[in-house]
Amino acid sequence: MATALPPLRRTTSLLLFLVLAGALASAARADLVISRADRRVDLTSHIVRVLTSLKVENAGQNPVSRVLLAFPKIQAKNLAAIRAFGTEGKVKGPSTILPIEVVQPSGAPPELTFFSALLSKPLEKGKTLHLEVLTVFTHSLQPFPEEITQAEAQLVVYQDSAHYLSPYPVKVQTLTIRLPGGRVESYTKHPKAKIVDSELKYGPFEDLPPFSYLPVIVHFENNNPFAVAKEVMREIEISHWGNVQITEHYNIAHGGARLKGEFSRIDYQSRPYIRGVSSFRHLIARLPPRAHSIYYRDEIGNISTSHLWSDSKKTQLEIEPRFPLFGGWQTTFTVGYGLPLQDFVFYSDGKRFLNITFGSPMEEILIEKLIVKVVLPEGSKDIEVSAPFPTKQWQEVKYSHLDIVGRPVVVLEKPDVIPEHNLYFQVYYKFNNISLLREPLMLITGFFLLFVACIVFMRTDMSISKSSPSYLAKLQWDEVQGTVQKIQGIFEQCLAVHDKLEASLRDLSRTGDIQSCKAARKAADAQFKELLKELKPLLTSVQSSPQSYQIWPKVEDLVTKEREMQEKLMTRHSTVVDSFEKKLRGQDVENRIVVQQQKIAALRQEVESLLEYISDI
Amino acid sequence: MAAKPISSPVPVEWYPTLAVVMVSVGLMFTASFFIYEATSSRRSRSLPKEIATAAVASVFLGFGSLFVLLASGVYV
Repeated sequence: MATALPPLRRTTSLLLFLVLAGALASAARADLVISRADRRVDLTSHIVRVLTSLKVENAGQNPVSRVLLAFPKIQAKNLAAIRAFGTEGKVKGPSTILPIEVVQPSGAPPELTFFSALLSKPLEKGKTLHLEVLTVFTHSLQPFPEEITQAEAQLVVYQDSAHYLSPYPVKVQTLTIRLPGGRVESYTKHPKAKIVDSELKYGPFEDLPPFSYLPVIVHFENNNPFAVAKEVMREIEISHWGNVQITEHYNIAHGGARLKGEFSRIDYQSRPYIRGVSSFRHLIARLPPRAHSIYYRDEIGNISTSHLWSDSKKTQLEIEPRFPLFGGWQTTFTVGYGLPLQDFVFYSDGKRFLNITFGSPMEEILIEKLIVKVVLPEGSKDIEVSAPFPTKQWQEVKYSHLDIVGRPVVVLEKPDVIPEHNLYFQVYYKFNNISLLREPLMLITGFFLLFVACIVFMRTDMSISKSSPSYLAKLQWDEVQGTVQKIQGIFEQCLAVHDKLEASLRDLSRTGDIQSCKAARKAADAQFKELLKELKPLLTSVQSSPQSYQIWPKVEDLVTKEREMQEKLMTRHSTVVDSFEKKLRGQDVENRIVVQQQKIAALRQEVESLLEYISDI
Repeated sequence: MAAKPISSPVPVEWYPTLAVVMVSVGLMFTASFFIYEATSSRRSRSLPKEIATAAVASVFLGFGSLFVLLASGVYV
């Protein structure tokens, strides 16, 4: 079996080299001793997570401020994330995250990549330190065989060293490999290896020199979804009107063993867990709480196979692609959702900032190339990004709804993104709330221009022939109409004066104040005179116009009726005032004016109906 | 200084109501504008009155259409 596996030959040659190189390099770093190393490798998904617990002891004379971690190049190139937590002392206390950097110590073999964990304070002589190192590897499970049929289960190969590869001597160590629980085809036999349930254990090994390397290989069944996204484009668009819109474009492939032969839908439908065990049919996304307007679509349109659950802590979205994904198959789709602004955008020290997770919300997905675009509102300035890991960054401009100069876009690109990279990152920017009014002002201007266009259209003379009779007639008619409208206005004023006179009479009967009533009469007389003066030129212009043959009789009628009414009203007014001066009884006054009263009412009605008739023309 | 969450200038729940109210008020002003345009004669039309009605109508229609967009999920 072992000869059939090509990776093994490579590791054997590496081993020879390491033993040689290790002998050279060990002397320099002999101060530290690892008294216990426990490694737990989790192979249940396609992303390999290795948790190494180290008990580091300073056996030398000088304090040590950093611990070196070594990885062979073939592992290091697949390393997606490394994190170290340190706790000093014997008891497990609060641990601190240690900064990690790549180093290349002098004399170290080039086949190894070294990382150095900087301790928060140097480790004194004789002291021990608990160090937890989490390393995450991608593309480390090689499908073998590389092509399988629909009914076959997927077998993968994992290789590692049973001995912890370290530049320090290791006293006691163990290696535990957690397998997904299916069939185990083979594993490297060793006197100290045993397999219990789905856990493969190597060790304990005691007193090993630095750079010990013992290659082991496990060949086992793993049918968990090998969801690998070739590229994910995540667009985060901020609107200060209350929304953070996220749109994610996925291009997902099954990264496991390729499908050989044809795919039978009937077999798959009837027994999907046997005839299609290596495929996966759904993905789960954990969206933030209060996500709304969630959609799941592709180029064809909406994909209806999705389910959503939500509670106060999270929103869980389960999406099924249009077809089950077998090895080598791929699909593209888009997921979008809106988030409340106040959950993700904050204000601090004169700057606003977006605080949101970097990676995709999909569970156990490996993204080979993740592009995160943060679209800030139009008018944002002084943009700064703070990300917890190095990314490639540049800026763009995006034109969206109601934009003039475009929205500034910050683009972050990172290869090999795993769920461990779902950390918060911040984009700081300056934004003035006045800029919020840009969009409504644009809309207002648009509508206003429409109205202005109407006004201009109504005022422009579009006729081609300025001397045609119909055009001239229209002009004259417009003039008549304008004058008639003015006449109408004057008559309405007249009626208002009439009302005033009536009111003064009523006041008189109530208070008996003859003087004020006379004053009102005088004022009314003056107003009538004024109105008459205004009316005269208008009447002559209407009369002289050839277009007014239809309306002129009515206007004439109106003028006479109004005059009559005015006279009647005046006489009535004089009569009442007279009676009051002679101190007649109220009953007698009523009798004297009752006939006039009726006439006035009739005339008023006529005048009003005439006015209405004229305004209808 | 502690970070303070930023929320929208107008509560998001009001958008549909605001959209309906402002668009209907705006349409009423628009209607009065066009009625005035159609009924008044060329001579008696007054420009300030037209401009004033048009301005009020466009302010209401502008904000109204903005809230229509926001309420329908197009966050500008």
